Amino acid sequence: MSDHRPATDDDLPALGRLLTWVDRPGSGTKLFRALGGFCAALLVIDLLISKHGHFHIEDVWAFYGVYGFLSFVCVIYGAKTLRFFAKRNEDYYGAQAIDREDYPLDQTGVTKEADDA
Amino acid sequence: MLESIPTAFLFFAMGLLAMAVPKGAARSALLVVIPLIAAWQVWTLPEGNLAPVTFFGLDLELMRVDRLSRVFGLIFCLIAALGNLYAWHLKDTVQQVAAPLYAGSAIGAVFAGDLVTLFFYWEGTAIASVFLIWARRTLGAYNTGLRYLIIQVGSGVILMAGIALLYAETGSIAFDRMTLGSLGTWCIFFAFGIKCAFPLLHNWLQDAYPAATITGTVVLSAFTTKLAVYALARGFAGTEILIYIGAIMTLFPIFFAEIENDMRRVLSYSLNNQLGFMVVGIGVGSEMALNGTAAHAFVHILYKALLFMSVGAVLYRTGKVKASELGGLYRTMPLTATFCLVGAASISAFPLFSGFIAKALILDQAAAHHHAIVWGALVFASAGVLSHSGIKIPFFTFFAHDSGMRPKEAPTHMLIAMGITAFLCIFIGVFPGTLYAILPYEVDYHPYTAAHVVGQLLLLCFALLAFGVLYRTGRHPAEIRCINVDSDVIYRKAAPSVVHIAARAISAIWQAHAGFWMRKTDLVLRGLYASHGPEGRMARVWPTGAMVLWIAILLGVTLAVIFVT
Repeated sequence: MSDHRPATDDDLPALGRLLTWVDRPGSGTKLFRALGGFCAALLVIDLLISKHGHFHIEDVWAFYGVYGFLSFVCVIYGAKTLRFFAKRNEDYYGAQAIDREDYPLDQTGVTKEADDA
Repeated sequence: MLESIPTAFLFFAMGLLAMAVPKGAARSALLVVIPLIAAWQVWTLPEGNLAPVTFFGLDLELMRVDRLSRVFGLIFCLIAALGNLYAWHLKDTVQQVAAPLYAGSAIGAVFAGDLVTLFFYWEGTAIASVFLIWARRTLGAYNTGLRYLIIQVGSGVILMAGIALLYAETGSIAFDRMTLGSLGTWCIFFAFGIKCAFPLLHNWLQDAYPAATITGTVVLSAFTTKLAVYALARGFAGTEILIYIGAIMTLFPIFFAEIENDMRRVLSYSLNNQLGFMVVGIGVGSEMALNGTAAHAFVHILYKALLFMSVGAVLYRTGKVKASELGGLYRTMPLTATFCLVGAASISAFPLFSGFIAKALILDQAAAHHHAIVWGALVFASAGVLSHSGIKIPFFTFFAHDSGMRPKEAPTHMLIAMGITAFLCIFIGVFPGTLYAILPYEVDYHPYTAAHVVGQLLLLCFALLAFGVLYRTGRHPAEIRCINVDSDVIYRKAAPSVVHIAARAISAIWQAHAGFWMRKTDLVLRGLYASHGPEGRMARVWPTGAMVLWIAILLGVTLAVIFVT
């Protein structure tokens, strides 16, 4: 890895500095609450608009919200279950598989970057 | 003049020229400009069979231009230009020749009006593309490339068999809509299915794409599978079984993508899932569903390339691509992070991004044709796409826990390539009419209705909310160093084990059998040796005195007998 490391946040590019807001204490909670508020607003709007879906269930209030939430939870727990069965060590396919090898550094900009620094 | 040259030949000429032009800016510029000229050519070509030739008595059509082939040809040319712009820094002749030959083969296959031409280009994509994997120049990439090549060429051989059977049956090599039934059509369907990564035929994709070079993966992600989608749309539109194959394809990869550690393999699973949507569209087979498939292929090529580009830029700057080793890179790579987020929003189909206006066509058609369960699966898969491509890729690469790495921002040419691709993702999302206008059939669909926008936002935002809840309560699966076995375990572990066990069993039986006969032979030899050997009874030396004694006894007995008688 390169030693090119900005000493403080001031050395970061402007957009990067702006984004460091997300790592401040409490920002995660604020984002989560904002998302919750947006979801609540969507639910209200969903109540007001007229819907003519191909299936009746599409017209039920909050259908897509509930379906989205449950789907996501199913994906996560499904994936956890799959991991229980499918997980193996990185050397499972032996030393001649890409899982164990590093990407050749001479094909990246890492070495060049170190030279620049 | 340009009209009479098949577009594929432009790319082949580019590949040859690339060898002649010295490495550096001139060659890189050549590789960007010629695909743009090709794109312009495809855009302006009239419809019809523009390059018929006779070959061993077969009438080949090298350039069948119609609205379906044009939209695929156009996006293939565009992504070739963008991919080469992204690879501007390359000074590797192998890749810079392989990429144009690969793109050219894919484009040639798209414009092939007959099955024989299709076969040649089909194999061309297999052979040219493997060099983008081997160009990594490691033992792992070499082995992966061999596996990839065997499967891809295998697909071509099955295609050839199918074409021969079909020709024997119908006497025609025209590449038009087919009906499953005869062995020939099933072979062709199966060959397409391998390249399209049907369930259980899919694992070459997740095996090979993460093994390719940084720039090679971007190019690979565009062509092979979408060529297969095109071929299915051309040959098997309306084949009902495709609806169910497609639905399964959208579902199973999302679970693998969620727990996979290698980010480029996550994107490969995600690619597989996106192909499922297109295959469902082909299976439904209505004009609007085929529009949906073409539109989805078009936008998918862009945002998938964008995601591979952003992850590739991270790999280029850090040498790392595993989720467990990345994180917090937004600080020094904010532009790459932003482009990645655009790609993530596009693939997740947020309104105003390209995925929204394309996927909607397919979902709408699945629902309109009363495929309720399939429709439910597709909506479920849409939330699943958000989980791995929408959240996992950008969040665990650029945000989440700080890896401590502070790499430089991606090189300028990569940023420009990503910027243009990201712009196209948003532009198509905001102005869907531009894409709808070039689709194979007339489009009568308005994606931006209140119900559709609110429904989609509800789906995605509540899925995001679920992520927030699970992540904040520590229930989201951790990013850990591991791999996951998929169907490739059959030919990478199980089959070699079976061969190994069989070899040992056969060897043991042989040993026992041979040992038995060796012992028998040994006994016989020993017996012979005992009787006929130097010390054997039969070989003993008798003194002459004994002979005389025996003769005397014999004479004595003879005399006695005569005397008595």
